[in-house]
Amino acid sequence: MSFFSKTQNAPKSQAELLYDIQVRKERRFRANVGLSWLILVFILVMAFSGQEVTIGSKTFSGIQIDTEFMRKNLTFIAGGLGETIRISLMSIALAMILALLAALGRLSTVPPIYALSTFYVSLIRGTPLYLQIFFFFLALPQLGIILSGLWAGVLALGLNYGAYMSEIFRAGLSSVGKGQREAAMAIGMTPAQTMRRVILPQALRFAIPPVGNEFIAMTKDSALVSATGFVHELMWRSTKVGRAQFHNLEALIMAAMFYWVMTLLLTYIQSIIETRLARGDR
Amino acid sequence: MNTNSVFSAMPIVKISNLDKYFGHLHVLKNISLDVPPRQVVCLIGRSGSGKSTLLRCINFLEEPSQGTIEVDGIRVEGGEKGRHHRQLVHDVRLKTGMVFQEFNLFPHMTVLENVIEGPVIVKGIGRQKAIELAEENLDSVGLLFKKDEYPNRLSGGQKQRVAIARALTMEPRVMLFDEPTSALDPELIGEVLNVMKKVAKAGMTMIVVTHEMGFAREVADRVLVMAEGELVEDANPADLFNSPKDPRTKALIDRYRSGEQA
Repeated sequence: MSFFSKTQNAPKSQAELLYDIQVRKERRFRANVGLSWLILVFILVMAFSGQEVTIGSKTFSGIQIDTEFMRKNLTFIAGGLGETIRISLMSIALAMILALLAALGRLSTVPPIYALSTFYVSLIRGTPLYLQIFFFFLALPQLGIILSGLWAGVLALGLNYGAYMSEIFRAGLSSVGKGQREAAMAIGMTPAQTMRRVILPQALRFAIPPVGNEFIAMTKDSALVSATGFVHELMWRSTKVGRAQFHNLEALIMAAMFYWVMTLLLTYIQSIIETRLARGDR
Repeated sequence: MNTNSVFSAMPIVKISNLDKYFGHLHVLKNISLDVPPRQVVCLIGRSGSGKSTLLRCINFLEEPSQGTIEVDGIRVEGGEKGRHHRQLVHDVRLKTGMVFQEFNLFPHMTVLENVIEGPVIVKGIGRQKAIELAEENLDSVGLLFKKDEYPNRLSGGQKQRVAIARALTMEPRVMLFDEPTSALDPELIGEVLNVMKKVAKAGMTMIVVTHEMGFAREVADRVLVMAEGELVEDANPADLFNSPKDPRTKALIDRYRSGEQA
């Protein structure tokens, strides 16, 4: 008998057996969760199918929705997807710049800079996003500054998320050990070179997953920009056709589905990025 | 035997009347020290004696409270501020290479990128020339084959050898080692000490803060003992280990001897 066939037939150790049980348990749990999800989705679909379902002695009738209306307005509402994504991308870009500046300010030892950073974060976090959007769109014109709905929305979202995300960047910057700074200084780097070449690359890598989460949240908060009435994104389009034809139920369900699927997709992309970063682990 | 003895007599590092305070704590007390070219100096002492702080004052990772540091003819007064002072500190740092206890390699760069970072970004020598120099130094620490790895794939000993190559590639006049083997597993200490011996043999001026008495005895030209912020003994290793003058030195060496036997 060869060495290999011998080891193959060898009985499993106690540890291996315990591990197998653990793995099987986990697999069963995940399978059951998946099944439950399917059932929940099925119930949701049935609830809006208009069908009558009899379980035992009870009969449930599903909510009647106008599928004809949905089909007719699908392209119109879907046409808002691009605008939603555009607002979100522009806002997250602005938010990242502001968050980084605010985080650097927060770590500054110069009192006015530290104060400016905390002042900004406090003011923005202390007021509603909805108010901020209206402020840029409706209040600024009184001062002679007229912004389009889009720019008012992007500014408000960017400022708002920037304030919240400053904490992420601050954590990222603090995660880089003091030894890194010293090593950079010891080879003669200036503070600016140290920041750009050594601290920032490591801090940003740390910040990528949480920034992804913020971006996903932002795609949904971008719906608030519809309140200006001039940005034809998902929410604006669905309320427009919904109100006009008194089919708000159908219109909002459609918008909700678009947001949900978009979130699922983005979450999936996010998880891929995260595992890739974890694999690099550097 | 030396035709330009006038120059070789000029110290590479000259510390004059150095004081360092941390708040009210007087951690370095009026230290003066000359290190001539090619000398290997080991700085020993109990933890908290100020030896690391002294080393870090030489390249201004700690700003001295007062006193003068002179490295290869660049004279910097401690405790000053301003653009001129920063420029001088920068110049001193270009003359000194530093190796840390915790290696402090840049984790987001490969081994080669770590080593060429300083020459390319700080000294502005061409990338190609920097790579040549870096590969030469990586080869002499025995790690050229790891040049494309990231630091987290290396053992502690390998990381420290890369850190030594990184410092050498800046072509410093003096190398400062801050407890270079203290964070290493015992079986990895030897490879780092061997590289340091090699650097010493190649004629580098070195100041080494260490607990490795064996290294001090074998490689150092001169051993300095620090206690409570003062230099209490300055001797060649043979004299120091055989007939220590200061009682604190004696205690230090006795502790080392008993550790050796254990």
